Amino acid sequence: MSIFLTRCVWWTMSAGQAVFSGWMEIVDKAEFDEARQRSEEAALAALVSQYAATLYRVAYSVLRNSADAEDAVQEAFLRVLRHRDTLGEVRDQRVWLVRIVWNVVLDRKRRMKTRPETDDVAELARVLPAMGLSAEERTAAAQHHSHVLACVEQLPEKERQVLMLSAFEELTSVEIASVLGITESSVRSRLFRARNLMAGLLNHARSLR
Amino acid sequence: MNTSNQKNFVHDSGAGEFEATLRLIAQLPAPNGLEDRVQAGLHAGTSPASGTASRRGRILAWPVALRLDNNWMRSAAAAAIVSMVVGGGWVVSSRIRPSQSARVINIAPHVAAPGGFSSAGAMRTPQTLNGPIVENPVVAHPVAAAPQTTKPSVKPAVRGKQTQLHRAAKPATANTAISQPVASAAK
Repeated sequence: MSIFLTRCVWWTMSAGQAVFSGWMEIVDKAEFDEARQRSEEAALAALVSQYAATLYRVAYSVLRNSADAEDAVQEAFLRVLRHRDTLGEVRDQRVWLVRIVWNVVLDRKRRMKTRPETDDVAELARVLPAMGLSAEERTAAAQHHSHVLACVEQLPEKERQVLMLSAFEELTSVEIASVLGITESSVRSRLFRARNLMAGLLNHARSLR
Repeated sequence: MNTSNQKNFVHDSGAGEFEATLRLIAQLPAPNGLEDRVQAGLHAGTSPASGTASRRGRILAWPVALRLDNNWMRSAAAAAIVSMVVGGGWVVSSRIRPSQSARVINIAPHVAAPGGFSSAGAMRTPQTLNGPIVENPVVAHPVAAAPQTTKPSVKPAVRGKQTQLHRAAKPATANTAISQPVASAAK
């Protein structure tokens, strides 16, 4: 009986030590995680200050609404925050972020298809730079840009995406291919088709006038 | 060098009026305070009230007031755990008493089979014969064993196959022993 009790005490002491030491390891791990979280937040803040404007322009080129574009940028960075553990594995953070915001923007675009196109003209007239133009000239320029963008909307989706991303001088054809998940030769061929289609659409509209 | 060539291919060949529009939009300046708003949104996303997993691992952590790195805290906690486990075990063992009847085990007695051979622990043994059964046993004195009837036993004229087989199975001495007194009486 005494041997049994001794063994019980020894076993419970060792088990208690094991449980308690595991508990303290969890505490140490929590402190380590907290420090790592602080460093990740700092890295994320640097990403925001460096690439927020670029992402906003990418989002605005598709959504053509400043509030929606800002929300898209916010959502993109929240996605980055969720996957911050993989930030160190990203090779090109700029292209990675553009790809994220591009997916966010496409999701939003699909959801808000009912937005009237007349908002585009007013929004463009508001955001386009004045450049010494009068109010009438600004309105006419906004209408012209809106007409061009309406023609862009008539393009097939693949060609439209390549054409819109090609307008960003920050992005090379290789980077556009990386954002869209296609090859560079596909980018070139789609861009060629998009330009031909756009020229045809604009000539057709001009002939109707 | 290659990158700049690719960029030139994308941006210079076939530039039309529509591309001017797209570039104009692509070069629009971001609104003022965009970074601050995004940062504020991210801080709101990482706050504990938002329910994100940013503060994982705090569930099992010590309270701030008890966050001491001394070893005596570990020893005290270990001693508390040990005392709780031992006390609980003692309480449980003191309330449970083993029953006495469980110590007695009834074993069925082994009955040896008659005849000198054992059944080797078999639960069921076939019923074997004690020996050959003879319908008409051989008698040492035929007179004493003669039948009391005056009418001698007459063999039937026609016998079936079964009777012949039955007679063949009988020993020959028995037939002769029975038939001799009958013959003498007829004389």
